[in-house]
Amino acid sequence: MPTMFAAAGVDDLIKTGGSCRVNADVKARFVPGDKIVARNINPVSHTRLPQYVRGKHGTVERDHGVFVFPDTNAVLKGERPQHVYSVMFTARELWGPQAPEKDKVYIDLWDDYMDPAG
Amino acid sequence: MSKAHEHDHDNRSDISLRVKAVESLLIEKGLLDPAAIDKLVDAYEHKIGPHNGARVVARAWSDPSYKQRLLKDGTAAIAELGFTGIQGEDMVVVENTSGVHNMVVCTLCSCYPWPTLGLPPNWYKAAPYRSRAVIDPRGVIEEFGLKIPESTEVRVWDSNAELRYLVLPERPAGTEGLDEAALAKLVTRDSMIGVGLPLSPDRGTE
Amino acid sequence: MNGIHDLGGRHGMGPIDIDPEQPIFHADWERRMFGMFILAFAGGHFNIDQFRAAIEKMKPAEYLESDYYEHWLYSLETWCKANGSLTDEEIENRMRKLSKGAA
Repeated sequence: MPTMFAAAGVDDLIKTGGSCRVNADVKARFVPGDKIVARNINPVSHTRLPQYVRGKHGTVERDHGVFVFPDTNAVLKGERPQHVYSVMFTARELWGPQAPEKDKVYIDLWDDYMDPAG
Repeated sequence: MSKAHEHDHDNRSDISLRVKAVESLLIEKGLLDPAAIDKLVDAYEHKIGPHNGARVVARAWSDPSYKQRLLKDGTAAIAELGFTGIQGEDMVVVENTSGVHNMVVCTLCSCYPWPTLGLPPNWYKAAPYRSRAVIDPRGVIEEFGLKIPESTEVRVWDSNAELRYLVLPERPAGTEGLDEAALAKLVTRDSMIGVGLPLSPDRGTE
Repeated sequence: MNGIHDLGGRHGMGPIDIDPEQPIFHADWERRMFGMFILAFAGGHFNIDQFRAAIEKMKPAEYLESDYYEHWLYSLETWCKANGSLTDEEIENRMRKLSKGAA
């Protein structure tokens, strides 16, 4: 049941916030350097995998650690904690050969959003 | 959806009235403390803002070992200066160099590093920036008055998860003698989002 | 969902309204809405993912045309109605009462 958050707690709330990081020992499916392909999922419910990335090929740059998975958390189907990675996609991969050659888009993808690329 | 909801969109005074109505109802039901709203507003309107991020940048420019820590673990390094909390719990700092220019967006909503930059400007949260930043970052940056050379690599960071991004701009030329406080004055909000560069010292900050 | 909020790469959204002098809050209702969202979140009305999911269900045209903090009101109302804290009728009655009081 929702409660009232009192003024006395505001200073602490501001300073502490609410990280979505989960202290769980979850295995990572990927490591930096891995080539991946973003899954082509199209859920009608909440996801943080934007359409512009689905089906595209990228490279894992960094493992940020373990976080709550929004797709399930949004519908109260559990936190399903998993690794989130910074993944690099070249502009040309996303937008075609007319995009600037050097440019890149980095996006944070959960384990469940990716498959290894062949 | 209720008719009142549809009318909100047509009449600006309706939204103000509706917010008042919702607030007063939640207070009466013991679900909301209005003094808590006042405190939050005061903090984000008057205390928390890009001057915080500017201090982080100035420290990184002045202290190479701090800069290394900042790039390795943004959360911990920013916490050394006390800028922790809501929408900054997990920070990543990305560095501009002579060959790389970084820019931050949240295409899906408005995610932004509040403890270091305060609340985002309207343009950051609106459709034009959110849609174009990932597909035409150079065009967007040019609208802000800055032209990125073709030889520079542009990296756009889409804050779609709970990591929040801060750009560490390049230290401007001619700032060798300046202390951290003076350096911080050169660091603009837009340079930490990546749609601008820091001020140069001869242009002055007075 | 493949909603209008998923804006990355879309064309036709118009020029960026840079407005260098813009204030943090444009009106008092924005201040109140900002505070209410944070407190409702801290009070357990919804988690952050639920909050965003509700915004994504706004009518696309309304999503694009409304002021930013109207998205937050929409979501707050969605969750308060879902958990029984508020009803549309209560809100509309209160709005009527408040506007009479102001007259």
